[in-house]
Amino acid sequence: MIGFLVALMILPLATAVLLMLFRDSAGQNTARWMALVGSVLTFCVAVTCIAKYRDQVIPTATQPVQPRIEWHHAWLTYTTLDHVHDEKDIESVLNHPEVKLEFFLGADGVSLCLIALTALLTISAVLISWESIKERAAEFYICLLVLESGLIGVFCSFDLLLFYVFFEFTLIPMFFMVGLWGGAQRNYAAIKFFLYTLCGSLITLLGLAALVLMAVKGGVTTPFSIPALATYFTEHPIDYRLQVILFLTLSAGFMVKVPLFPLHTWLPLAHVEAPTAGSVMLAGVMLKLGSYGFFRICLPIYRQACMDVGLPLIATLSVIGIVYGSLCALAQRDIKKLVAYSSVAHLGFCMLGLFALNSEGITGSLLQMINHGLSTGALFLLVGMVYDRYHTRQLDDLGGLANRLPLIAAAMVFTTMASIGLPGLNGFVGEMLSLAGMFKIMPVYAIIGTSGVVLGAWYMLTMVQQGFFGPLREPHNVHEPVGDMTPREACAFLPLAVMCVWIGVAPQPFIDMMKPDIQAVVTGYDHSTPLTAETQTESPAQLTVINR
Amino acid sequence: MSDQAQLILWLIPGAPLLAAGIIALLGKLFLGERSHVPCVAALAIAFGCSLVLLTKIVPTTFVSGLTSEAKVEADKQISFQPTDEQVITPQRGAIAKGYTFLDIGTMQVRVDLRADAIAAIMLAMVTGVSLLVAIFASGYMHGDPGYPRFFAAVSLFVFSMCMLVLSGNYIQLFAFWEAVGLCSYLLIGFWFKKPAAAAAAKKAFVVNRIGDFGLITGVFLIWKTFGSVDFQRVLFNPELIQKINEQHPGTIPTICLLLFIGAMGKSAQFPLHVWLPDAMEGPTPVSALIHAATMVTAGVYLVARSTPLFMMAPNVQLFVAGIGATTALISALIALTQYDLKRVMAYSTVSQLGFMFMALGAAAAGPKFANFAIMAAMFHLFTHAYFKALLFLASGSVMHSMGDVIDMRRFSGLRHVLPITHWTFLCGALALAGFPLLAGFWSKDDILAALAEGMHSSHGQFFTVIFAVAVLTALLTAFYTFRAYFMTFWGPEKFPEEAGHHPHDAPPAMAWPLRILAIFAIGVGFVGPLHLFSGYFEHTPGLPAAQEHGFHLGLMILSAFIALGGMAVAYKWYIKSPEIPAKLESGLRPLYALSQGKFFFDEIFTAIVVAPIRLIATICALFDKYILDGVVDSFGALPGFLSQAPRRLHGGLTPAYAATMLIAAIGCVVCVMQLFAGQ
Repeated sequence: MIGFLVALMILPLATAVLLMLFRDSAGQNTARWMALVGSVLTFCVAVTCIAKYRDQVIPTATQPVQPRIEWHHAWLTYTTLDHVHDEKDIESVLNHPEVKLEFFLGADGVSLCLIALTALLTISAVLISWESIKERAAEFYICLLVLESGLIGVFCSFDLLLFYVFFEFTLIPMFFMVGLWGGAQRNYAAIKFFLYTLCGSLITLLGLAALVLMAVKGGVTTPFSIPALATYFTEHPIDYRLQVILFLTLSAGFMVKVPLFPLHTWLPLAHVEAPTAGSVMLAGVMLKLGSYGFFRICLPIYRQACMDVGLPLIATLSVIGIVYGSLCALAQRDIKKLVAYSSVAHLGFCMLGLFALNSEGITGSLLQMINHGLSTGALFLLVGMVYDRYHTRQLDDLGGLANRLPLIAAAMVFTTMASIGLPGLNGFVGEMLSLAGMFKIMPVYAIIGTSGVVLGAWYMLTMVQQGFFGPLREPHNVHEPVGDMTPREACAFLPLAVMCVWIGVAPQPFIDMMKPDIQAVVTGYDHSTPLTAETQTESPAQLTVINR
Repeated sequence: MSDQAQLILWLIPGAPLLAAGIIALLGKLFLGERSHVPCVAALAIAFGCSLVLLTKIVPTTFVSGLTSEAKVEADKQISFQPTDEQVITPQRGAIAKGYTFLDIGTMQVRVDLRADAIAAIMLAMVTGVSLLVAIFASGYMHGDPGYPRFFAAVSLFVFSMCMLVLSGNYIQLFAFWEAVGLCSYLLIGFWFKKPAAAAAAKKAFVVNRIGDFGLITGVFLIWKTFGSVDFQRVLFNPELIQKINEQHPGTIPTICLLLFIGAMGKSAQFPLHVWLPDAMEGPTPVSALIHAATMVTAGVYLVARSTPLFMMAPNVQLFVAGIGATTALISALIALTQYDLKRVMAYSTVSQLGFMFMALGAAAAGPKFANFAIMAAMFHLFTHAYFKALLFLASGSVMHSMGDVIDMRRFSGLRHVLPITHWTFLCGALALAGFPLLAGFWSKDDILAALAEGMHSSHGQFFTVIFAVAVLTALLTAFYTFRAYFMTFWGPEKFPEEAGHHPHDAPPAMAWPLRILAIFAIGVGFVGPLHLFSGYFEHTPGLPAAQEHGFHLGLMILSAFIALGGMAVAYKWYIKSPEIPAKLESGLRPLYALSQGKFFFDEIFTAIVVAPIRLIATICALFDKYILDGVVDSFGALPGFLSQAPRRLHGGLTPAYAATMLIAAIGCVVCVMQLFAGQ
């Protein structure tokens, strides 16, 4: 199993290296074929991995331990020899070091689902760039594949250090993708995107460092291992006030990445300027790094802070994001910007569900991560197809495209429906479970959030109505009539559509994949009902005892 | 339940789904003008299976000769555990097992088909009407470039509607509630080139979403309160409902109110009725099927289905009746002056739906009367489906021969040119007006009887008002129906130029559905007085026990007079002395304008809802771009700003560097000397 995991990380990287070696001799054609083969192979491995996981690991996954596939390699150990008195002891002391830095790879159902999503979206990203990326094609695909590798790396890391390195590393290829192949304002967008998310991440690093130091003090031998930290801090909760501060520090980078209101302003700009493939990867996977970080690190470690501070704070920001993002989307005339703002709203649902801190909400949230990747990825693909044909995305210039591009229009209606959460397609399950989970504990947030569903239908359908229905209106600079969706574009779009229907009709197999992992996180929250009078007053006092 | 019965149950939604898939995949390339074949075949199968379900499968589950208490016990006996292993056999209903849709935490949702008396009646109606409409459409839509798309969407609609009716839990119900909304969206916007159609489709979807917002919140509250969304646990367990109502007094009324908001959206009740008249932009068969006979009645079905909850919330039931009465009256008033034949029918549909909700609300009179009131609502739903579908299809036939002109001022005297259309339309109009012994007569009479019973309850005064509104609306209904009839089919023969010189009547594919529906419009009402309908319907689980009901001769005479009176006035005004309406129009100018302008609901909503939200949206976008992002950019500019001063020191001029060096050296020396001096 672990071999597959390593292969998943290596394959895109290896393809990228090959491309780099041959980039002078290889033209655009060789580059894109190599990229396609590499990404398809990666996807196949990911699917095999999931199949194996379902057959072998899920049936035995009774203990709430994460991850379910793992591989350690200690690459740095630290031991003091102060207490060693004779030669014999040295051997045993060295074998049981006080602190180990490990190269700790692993996977569970959640990460495998997200890895498969990454691999799938990369294929679509390659296919959609097929014609539109003409200059420095090899370099473009190198960036894309390196990005894929990095993203998979994040999902495979169960080691804080590794997680953080991959988390930051993904910025670099994306920075180049926006900065080199982007639109008119690409430099500004790339720098803003990079610096903004970097600033957030640096604060996160501070939080990570503090966390690790506390674990070392507490005698944890593997202070970077997320499961070890989770276990340790569940047994020895951090002092309440410190916990809140650490939670907020650690969250900063994730909040920017998600992005939560009001930290979202880098997103519309980056999306609008990024090439289509960049937008697909950015919205489809990179935003999920934030919510995934919350799920993987914050939820298991800062239980009390999540309940008392995270729930009200994040839920408030999420519902503001849902309503505000939807309203901003309603006012946009640029389709891509509209989709970008819709991401802000959709990620609001995701965070709302995550901080419901019960199994329904978290399941909804994780599904919403996958669903948003699929449907928003597909939306960006379609917007890219329109842009490739007309070199504009303004609703003022376009109209009635269904007359000229019936297939693209049909795909757009389909994806719109998936995006606004129509039952039977993927969006519904995630949104419904997230909202239901939140409704269970804080109905007010859920009700405000649900109003975003109405607004979502409004802005998306307005876009469809103006851009695709009505009499045909094309920009004047297009002389020859443009063609409908090509087979290549269909190949990019259809897998996502199939997944949308699959998750929408039968979400239970996907939930079963993730259920044990969700259970492992939720168990800590099950016993206490959050925000009742008792937990608020008693728990801090109870918590201060520990931690020296 | 036997495998055969399961198969039959699954075929009802399955066949249309398969047809939808086949047409969607092969329609454009292979089927072309034959795209209606899979659709009609599938609907015929579904209709046949529905009849088997209605007559064979569901009745076997009825427990006859039980007292009402024993029936309640029978409903409760199964403890429903949504696992694959357990065979689910509820009493008084059939379940075909499906699959687990969701199972996480306490959110356990299965997709099963659950058929009981109310569902079987609905299904027979839905599949029957849609079969006839599909046959009609194969003639009506002939030659349209979107022919395959039309039949794919219709098949998908029938699938969704059947699944909605067959739902065994609220989440499944909600899912297909939205799915029928999607089909409605696709079919209203069928002619997407027309801006009006595109706008109407969006409006229908968004307004429905407002209702759905209420519905899903209601479902969440049900789930939170009952720990389940399954009908079996939520609805058919009186002790649990009783207990919850005692422990949390406000919860069940809130649930009912939220569910009713959903029903208001889907069934176009005031103030969410604004989408339905606009929905007439879709092809006429769609208006007949979705926006008259089936989808819009889903709200009535939902409230009737949730009767056990509504019985705990009499105030909400009064609200339901009030909204129903308001809607019925307002839309009848609007229908009085419309010139678009389809819009008259649309407002009439809204009005008749209002009637159904009045009857549902009349259940507030007390458990004794509830069964009859709900039966009356469902009976009206049942008869209305036939005669309203007939009226729409006949209007479509008029439109077809008039070259898509539907303005009644532009044609008249069509009764000789379009004999089939004329006769069938007349049957429908008579039924709608409540002409004695026709379908609408019996069901409207039941509703009036239910309301009259409400007058003797503790809410007597309220129901007196509602009853008066109902009587008035019935009078208006007879009038505007026959106004439309006389304007279209009587008077001097006149065609618009779009129609050509020789308008032709409906071809066979259109004529036969009209004839069959006409027979239904005349005859289907007799299942009421013969107690066939109520005898079957009372087997629906969860309903309060039925009481004996005799004929209410007084009310029948009253409603016969109302119908004949309305028709007579229409005859007088539009045939005998056609100058009267014009006089009234000039005499009552403001009132007339109010009705003509549809009470200006669209304008009011635009002004108080749409425009402000758009304004806020623009403000948000500007705020985001300039203020929020401006703060970020100024943080970004901060380092550059702070570096202004140090930058001066690095100007690249050698003298400046030398001077700096000198000053620094002196400073150092001074510092060091001070340090030593201090020692």
